[in-house]
Amino acid sequence: MNEKTFRKARTTLLLLFVFAVVGYLIYTRIMAYSLAPTLEPKDFSNYAWYEIPFQFLWDYFSHGWICLLFAFVTAGLVYEFIPKQTITKYMSSSKVAGYALGAGLAPFFTVCSCTMVPLFAGILYSGSGIGPAITFLLMAPAANILTILITGEFISWEIALVRIIVSLATAVLAGVTISKTSWGKAIEKEHQTSTADTMAQQRVELVKIPLDEKLVSALKFGGFLAKQILPYFILGLVVVSYVEAFLPQELVGGYLTGVTGVLLASIVGGPLYTPTLVEIVLGRSLLQLGMSKATLLSWLMGQPYDIPNMVAVSRIVRWKVVLTYALIAWACSVSFGLLYGIVTSSL
Amino acid sequence: MKEVKVEVIEPEPACVRCQTAKKVVEKVAETLKHAGMTVKVEKVNIISKEIVGKYGLLVSPAIAVNGVVKVMGRVPSEEEIIRLMKEAAK
Repeated sequence: MNEKTFRKARTTLLLLFVFAVVGYLIYTRIMAYSLAPTLEPKDFSNYAWYEIPFQFLWDYFSHGWICLLFAFVTAGLVYEFIPKQTITKYMSSSKVAGYALGAGLAPFFTVCSCTMVPLFAGILYSGSGIGPAITFLLMAPAANILTILITGEFISWEIALVRIIVSLATAVLAGVTISKTSWGKAIEKEHQTSTADTMAQQRVELVKIPLDEKLVSALKFGGFLAKQILPYFILGLVVVSYVEAFLPQELVGGYLTGVTGVLLASIVGGPLYTPTLVEIVLGRSLLQLGMSKATLLSWLMGQPYDIPNMVAVSRIVRWKVVLTYALIAWACSVSFGLLYGIVTSSL
Repeated sequence: MKEVKVEVIEPEPACVRCQTAKKVVEKVAETLKHAGMTVKVEKVNIISKEIVGKYGLLVSPAIAVNGVVKVMGRVPSEEEIIRLMKEAAK
């Protein structure tokens, strides 16, 4: 077989696989299959303690496998096919474009910490400054493509959508505020490089690769993400299964509703964050046990802190900036949680 | 044949995919050295001012050959690196 036929065959096969995944997901939507798990807290009393995690895992994977597969495939494809060079060029061009791209593109770029810290530093150094850099940083974990898809399918698309909107508001608010503070400005001044951007861009001549290699690379990246995330995800599910089985509903109903719930969730959400989708599963279980929707939103929002990234970032911007954005993020998580609770009367 | 300088641009500490990219480059460089090419591999920090000033905003892992970024945001195959290095050596 010559190389051309081989490439054609490989491209066709890979495209077929992608279409099959997308097609099956659409099919489940049309047929209205539930992709979310169906076990309820009361069901757990039928099982022995050692059966609980297995039942829980089975419940998640038998319903949600297509959703997880789709999320990883999409994340890989988007990341591979997004025109990185065009974006990096615009991201470093002006303030307004910086904010828009920082917030709008963070979801596509940041499923992996490979891109997060470099882009943060790049935005900061090369023109847009600290505001868009912070916006990018806060938007990323709150609304990346994996998180959105999984929140939407496993919890509800309403929550997923609200989560994106309020994360956006928070990220922009934090970015703009920090760019106005004296310590924010100091960091910006310290890091700005004077190199003309056009000059730097001339030194980037990316090699174009054929479609089949691009697809392989995209699926490999999706697989890489799965390999990184799934072990923690599964471990997380085991822990959450016991939470759902044994945490008394009175406790959840008593503490995780109303204003107390929002406040508590916003505080606990931060340190408990693991960038592994477990927060979504735990949120869902707590919701089942009687947590209010407003509290769930605060819980999901209180988590734009990804500890390893924060450590790397704090080396660049120092603690004052980190503290400022953590404070703003916390305040927003409380206010938006309460607001959502009042508007939808689900406090 | 000209000397080829390859820069593997990655954050510090390196992410997993950056490590993979570096391994591929080093392996290829070793092979090409045996074939008589002069190859220098260097690891540089993507968030250093110098690199941002030189190349602008990048997505890691990125690979620059003789001062021009050729690959960014993906792990290239061995064949691709060989091709790039051979081109640069001409």
